[in-house]
Amino acid sequence: MVKLEARRGRLIIHFRNRKYEWVLEPRYWRNPIIGLIIWLLIPLIILVVGQIVPISILSILSTLIFANILCMLAIPLTLQIIGTGRVNFGPHFFAAIGGYTSALLSKNFGLSPLATLPASFAIGTIIALGLSPITIISRGLYFVLITLLLPFILLELAYWQSEIFGAETGIPGVPTIFHSGNVFQDVTLYFYLSLSLALIFLFVSDRVLRSRYGFIMGVINEDEEVAETYGINTAKVKIPTFTLTSGAMAIAGWFIAHYYGSFAGPAWLQPSFLIIILLTTTLGGKGAIYGVVISAYVIAVLREATRVLFGELSIVVLFLILLVLLYLLPEGFWGLYRKKRYREYFPSIKIRRG
Amino acid sequence: MLDIKNLTRKFGGIVAVDDVTLKIEKGEIVGLIGPNGAGKTTLINLISGYYYPNEGKIFFNGKDITRERPFVRARMGIARTFQNPRLVGNMTALMNVLYAILGKEGGRITLHEASAEAMYYLDFFGLLKKRDVLAKDLPIYEMRLLELARALALKPKLLLIDEAMAGLNPAEAERVSSLISRIREEFDLTIVWVEHVLRILMRSVERVVAMHYGKIIADGRPEEVSKDKKVIEAYIGEEL
Repeated sequence: MVKLEARRGRLIIHFRNRKYEWVLEPRYWRNPIIGLIIWLLIPLIILVVGQIVPISILSILSTLIFANILCMLAIPLTLQIIGTGRVNFGPHFFAAIGGYTSALLSKNFGLSPLATLPASFAIGTIIALGLSPITIISRGLYFVLITLLLPFILLELAYWQSEIFGAETGIPGVPTIFHSGNVFQDVTLYFYLSLSLALIFLFVSDRVLRSRYGFIMGVINEDEEVAETYGINTAKVKIPTFTLTSGAMAIAGWFIAHYYGSFAGPAWLQPSFLIIILLTTTLGGKGAIYGVVISAYVIAVLREATRVLFGELSIVVLFLILLVLLYLLPEGFWGLYRKKRYREYFPSIKIRRG
Repeated sequence: MLDIKNLTRKFGGIVAVDDVTLKIEKGEIVGLIGPNGAGKTTLINLISGYYYPNEGKIFFNGKDITRERPFVRARMGIARTFQNPRLVGNMTALMNVLYAILGKEGGRITLHEASAEAMYYLDFFGLLKKRDVLAKDLPIYEMRLLELARALALKPKLLLIDEAMAGLNPAEAERVSSLISRIREEFDLTIVWVEHVLRILMRSVERVVAMHYGKIIADGRPEEVSKDKKVIEAYIGEEL
């Protein structure tokens, strides 16, 4: 049924009536597909490595789940930075909105995780829509300050109304999504759930960035006034971008709440978490959504490794390493990969002469 | 076509454009001259919607556009170029024309059709070979041409050119000047042209408006304006 054939430098796979080709020369490989396969097989790889080297498979998997959470926050943030031309310093604010929404709804009204998902997305979107005029009236440092203040306000609110938000202890007793009893199976399922959410974000962002909408977002990112001068209604692009990407960040909060079984604002509204998210987007590369995935994994693994190796000094060492990386990789992790490849310009016509 | 009434714009204590009333008819090519700081660029910015005036009104084809946002004016048919080329440096020449077409047409045109149209404008200015070069890598002459191509891609009725020849050598300036005369005929445009190179400007335009300290001091045929006493005074100072 499956027939393999090597011809003209390519591997041809015949499957029923269909024909799939794979070019053997490495520079023509479809690297996104390879990357996706590696990403999907990570738990299996860890399982195999865990048989040989004595490591805790569960702790590594939970580190990688944290990396996926970082992806879920940093991919929409990257899209938002491109589409609004401003750097949002409050991505964890929207994550906390999503987390608190799902935690409060499931605890007080007994909603299932499936029901709190659209609710947290909706609440995040509505709050972002209310805030979206700031993308028009402010820019530069003012936008940074406004977005930086929001998480602190929410943090103070969590301490002030501690009967509702539970301050440091958070809101315990949020129903988990997978609770079969087999811990390894649960964690693996959580890994795949977070991975698929991150993949959905990645896929949607990729489609958006490749469309005409993404093209116009690129113009706004470079020069908003030029975009306005050439007939682009920037408000019509900035507001939906800000709103929907913030909703996507709220979904990350939903996952955090249902994965840890509780949501404690003070744990996630910390500036250090914000710095990690921002470093993820920056180390990924300028507007490179694929680079974000690489940097999220590197940062999550580095964070865990420094915690094991340096104990109390871990945060200092982690940020020092990231500082050095920022200096060494001005174009981020994506730049390392991209420099090896032909510049993919806009498709051009070929004119044959003579 | 363009009707400016008592337009005033102040920056702090400085009155950049002071009570300017100007009427531009369809098909005209008007040169706007004046010494540095005369308010020429501010006037262009006011017409294209970069700034809003403190007082006065702007009518375009009989419609009041004083408070319209720049993109609305662009879609109505007012295009402009910038004094220092403001291209999107990280995009190719083709893409720089493409977003102007997308801005004008909105959702009525596919990306493919739009890029085919962008090719036409690039070819018109002889930039087709450079279509895949990043805009920041282009030399200044080609940047100026690309700015013109991008402005034309909006299919404007009124084209505001803000110093198309700054930084060009005389031969290049001549070529730009002849291109501007050509686009005026081929695209049926009304042009307002701010320029410092008076020698070429005076030859190519039919009407010259001279500004000084935000006020219009002379308006007429190039020969008349160049002999006007006030204009000479504004440029080289009063006789002692």
